[in-house]
Amino acid sequence: MRHGDEVAQEALDALLKAGADKASCGVSTSVVTELNVERAQIGLLRSTMNVNVNLMAIKDQKKGSVSLNSLEPSAIDRAATDTLAMAAVSQPDPAFDIAEAQEPASFESGAKEPDHDAMYDRMKEFLDTVADKYPTIMLRQAYLSFSRHNWSFVNSNGVDYRTEQGVYRFNALFSAREGDEVSSFNYTGFSMRDLEQELLERGSLDIMLRQTTEQVRTRPVKGKFMGDMIIAPDCLGSFLGFLTHPLSDRPLISGTSLYKDSLGEKIAGAEFTLHSRPVSSEIADGYFVTGDGYAAENSTIIDRGVLKSYLLSLYGAKKTGRERAKNNGGAYVVEPGTTPLEEAIRGVKQGVLLVRFSGGSPSANGDFSGVAKNSYYIEDGQIAYPIRETMVSGNFAEAFRNLKVVSKERVDFGWSILPWVVVPGITISGR
Amino acid sequence: MAAVDLKRYAAFLKDYTELRMQENRTIGIGFLNGNNTGNSRSSSRGVSARVYRQGSWGFASSPDPSDDSIKAVLSLAQQNADFLHAREDKGQGPLPSVVAHLEKDFSTKKPRLSQKDLLAYAKEVDNYISTEYPDLTSRSVGLSSLEIEKTLLTSEGSFYRSLIPRSFIYINLAAQANDGPVEVFDLHGGLGQFEDTLPSDEVLHSMIDRLYEHLMRKKEGVFAEAGVKTCILDAKLGGILAHEAIGHTTEADLVLSGSVAGRLLNQEVASPLITLVDFAHTAFGEVCPVPVYVDDEGTPGQDVTLIEQGVLRNFMHNKESARIFGVAPTGNARAYAFSDEPLIRMRNTAILPGDSSLEDMIASVEDGYYLIQASNGQADSTSEFMFGVVLGYEIKNGKLGRAIRDTTISGVAYDVLKTVTMVSDQHWWSSGGMCGKKQAIPVGMGGPAIKCQITLGGR
Repeated sequence: MRHGDEVAQEALDALLKAGADKASCGVSTSVVTELNVERAQIGLLRSTMNVNVNLMAIKDQKKGSVSLNSLEPSAIDRAATDTLAMAAVSQPDPAFDIAEAQEPASFESGAKEPDHDAMYDRMKEFLDTVADKYPTIMLRQAYLSFSRHNWSFVNSNGVDYRTEQGVYRFNALFSAREGDEVSSFNYTGFSMRDLEQELLERGSLDIMLRQTTEQVRTRPVKGKFMGDMIIAPDCLGSFLGFLTHPLSDRPLISGTSLYKDSLGEKIAGAEFTLHSRPVSSEIADGYFVTGDGYAAENSTIIDRGVLKSYLLSLYGAKKTGRERAKNNGGAYVVEPGTTPLEEAIRGVKQGVLLVRFSGGSPSANGDFSGVAKNSYYIEDGQIAYPIRETMVSGNFAEAFRNLKVVSKERVDFGWSILPWVVVPGITISGR
Repeated sequence: MAAVDLKRYAAFLKDYTELRMQENRTIGIGFLNGNNTGNSRSSSRGVSARVYRQGSWGFASSPDPSDDSIKAVLSLAQQNADFLHAREDKGQGPLPSVVAHLEKDFSTKKPRLSQKDLLAYAKEVDNYISTEYPDLTSRSVGLSSLEIEKTLLTSEGSFYRSLIPRSFIYINLAAQANDGPVEVFDLHGGLGQFEDTLPSDEVLHSMIDRLYEHLMRKKEGVFAEAGVKTCILDAKLGGILAHEAIGHTTEADLVLSGSVAGRLLNQEVASPLITLVDFAHTAFGEVCPVPVYVDDEGTPGQDVTLIEQGVLRNFMHNKESARIFGVAPTGNARAYAFSDEPLIRMRNTAILPGDSSLEDMIASVEDGYYLIQASNGQADSTSEFMFGVVLGYEIKNGKLGRAIRDTTISGVAYDVLKTVTMVSDQHWWSSGGMCGKKQAIPVGMGGPAIKCQITLGGR
C-alpha cells in the first residue's frame, strides 16, 4: 500500500495545480483488531483496514472539501479536480483559511502492533472473573480492540505533520438478572496504552458492574422535590459535553451560546477546574494535531470556576473575532477536589447519585431533563435505594455555576480523567 | 462503485461466508446565518468477508477492491474464525440456509443536480427565510444525503445488488425569548436522491412558515408540568416510540441478553388497539423509507409482526439467533459500512393506524399535552425509555393552548402502551435519524398519533 506522506503531498500538489489559492490534505490509515463478546462468549474476531483522504481547497475565498478512501493516483487527481469544482460554486467567506507555517514534526505514541494472544487472554480473564464475582451479570456485548492510526497532514503554507498512534480500547454493555427481574443496561469503556493491567481494574468497570447487580430491584422516587445531584464520572462526560458545546463554533457564530460574553467570568463553582490535555502523558488516547493543522497544546478551559478559553476552530475564531483554541477540546481532565466521595454523599440531605443520564440535548438556554438511569436515591447522607422511572431536570449552566463539591477520587478513562461532582438545585420527580 | 464480479470468488467461500463490496457516498451542504459553512462530498468503499465456523466468526475488510485484496480479505476472515475456533470450540451447528437473488436500484431517473445546483437551492431557501423572517436570532439550512451501494455474495448462493439513497433538507430557526434563545427544527425528505426528494417551493415555504409560527409560540411558551399526564403523541413520536421503546427490546440478540421482552412472548403487552410491525421493504402499498429486500446475510427481508392487537408475537432475527430460537431468519441482519459486521437491526418499524381522527383525539383531552416533535430517544432492556420533546402544546378542555418549552417524556413502554385509548387514522414515516447500536444505521420509523398516559419532565 502507498505511504500516507507521499499521497498527502501528491494530493496537495494536485490541488494547487488545479488552481487552489490555499489547500490542505490529510491522509489517515487505520488498522483495527477487535475481539467481540456476545452473551458472555468470545464470538467474533475482526481485522479491518481503512484509509481516508481529506482534500480541502480555497479559491477566491470559496471553499470545497472532498473525502475518499482510495490512495490510487487517478482517484486522488479526480478528487482534487472535484474539490476545486466544488469551491468554485460555493459562497465566498473571508473567514476561510488554513493554518500558518509551523516547524514540520512527527509524533508517536503507543504500541505498533497488537498482541493478539494477550488480547484474548485479557478478555477471557475478564469473562471468567465476571462470571465468578458477579454471577447475575449478563454481558450483552463487549469488545477489546487495538487500533493503529497513522495520519499525515500537509498544507500549502508548509505545515507538515505526521502522527502514529496505537491504542487499546475496551467497551462493555451489560445488565443483571435474577429470575424474571432484570436491571437496566449500563455501559462503560476506556482506552489504554498496553494490556499490563486486568481489564476489571481499569476505568469504572468494576464499580459499574457491582452497581448493576444492585439495580435488579428498583423503585421510583416518591413525588417531586428539589435536591442535590451527584454526577458520577461516566455521566460527567455527558455533562461536560453540555458545558463545552456552547464554547464551540456553531453556538458562538450563531450568537445562541449561553457563554458568548462569559470569557473571564465565573461559570462554575470555585472548586471546578477543567483542562483539555490531548498531549499530556496522563491521557492514553489523545491527539497531537488539531483538525485545522496546528500542533495541539494542552489548555485550561475553566480555572477555579472562571472561563479561560473558548473551543473555537480557525474558522470560528476568524468568524467571531476571538482567539483560536489551542486544541480541538476533548481529553478532559478535571482537577480532583479535597472531599472524599463518601463525605460528599454524607453532605446530601436529599438527592440522587446520577450514574447514567438518558436525556435529550439541553435547550440553548441550558435547560435539560432526562431519566436518571442506573442511579440511586440519597436521603440524609445515605444511599437509600436504586431507582427507576425518576426524572431529573434543571439548568446545566446554573448547576455548574453553583457546583458544590468535586470529589477527591477520579476515574481514568484513558481519554478523560473525571471525578464525581455535586450540583444543587435539581428537580427530581418520581411517582 | 467500480463493478467487480463477486461471483468469480464463489469457489473461495469454504465455511459459511459472506463476501460484500460496498460504497457509502454522502453530500453535505450547510448555511448558517447566510454563511456557506458546509460544502463537502465523501465516499467510503471497500470489501469485507465474514466466515462462520461452528459458532465462531471471523471478519476482515479492506478499502482496496483489487483481486489480490479480495482474496486476502477472504483468507484473513477465515484465519480469524480459525483463531477463535481453536480456542473456543463452541461446537455449534450450521446456520439456517436461505437463498435470495435480487437487484434493487433507487437512484433517480431524472437528470442529476450538480453541487452548484444544490448550493443554489440551499442559498435560495436561506434567502427566503432571511427575507420573510428578519427577526430571527439565527437560521440554518442543511442538505444531507447518504447513498449505500452494495453487492453481496454468500457461500449458500445468495446474491444481492442494491443502491439505496436517502436525502433530506433540514431547517433550524432560533429566536431570543426573555429567558434565552429558543429553537425549532424540521426536515423534509426520505428515500431517494435529491432529484426525487427536494420539495417544491410551495411545500417548503409552507413548512418554513409553519415552523416560524411554532417558534413564535414557543418563544412565549411555558414549561410543561412534571408528572404523569394524558398526552397525544403525534405520529412522529409514535414512530420513535415504536422503534426505541418496543423495537429494541424485541431484537433477538437483546432478548438473549436479558431484555424484558424475552419473558413476555404471547402475552398481552399493550392495548388491543396496538399492532406494531417491522416492515422489510413495503408497507401500505408503498416502498418504505429504508427498504431491505435482502439483508447482509443474504436472507430475503420478511415483515415481522412484533405486537398483534396488544399481544407480543415475534422477535427480529439474524441467522444465528434464528438457529438458537428454532425459527426462520427474518432478514434483519444489517451492516452500515463495508468494514462493519451485520447486526440485528430494525428496518421500518411502525405502529399501524387506527380509526380516530387527530382532531377527535385532541378534543377528548381535558388537561394534557399534544407532543409533536422529538429530538432524540433512548430505551432500555427493561423497555424504560425517554425522548427529548422539542415541540408541543398544552391541551386544555379539548383545545390546544400555549406552546411548551423543551421537555423529556419517559415511561416503561409496555406499561405506557397499555394506557393507549385512541389511535389516529393517519400514518407518518420519518427516516432522518440514525439508530445507534455499535454502528449507526439509517432506519425508518412510523406511526399514527396515539393517546396515552406518559411521564413528562418539567419544572
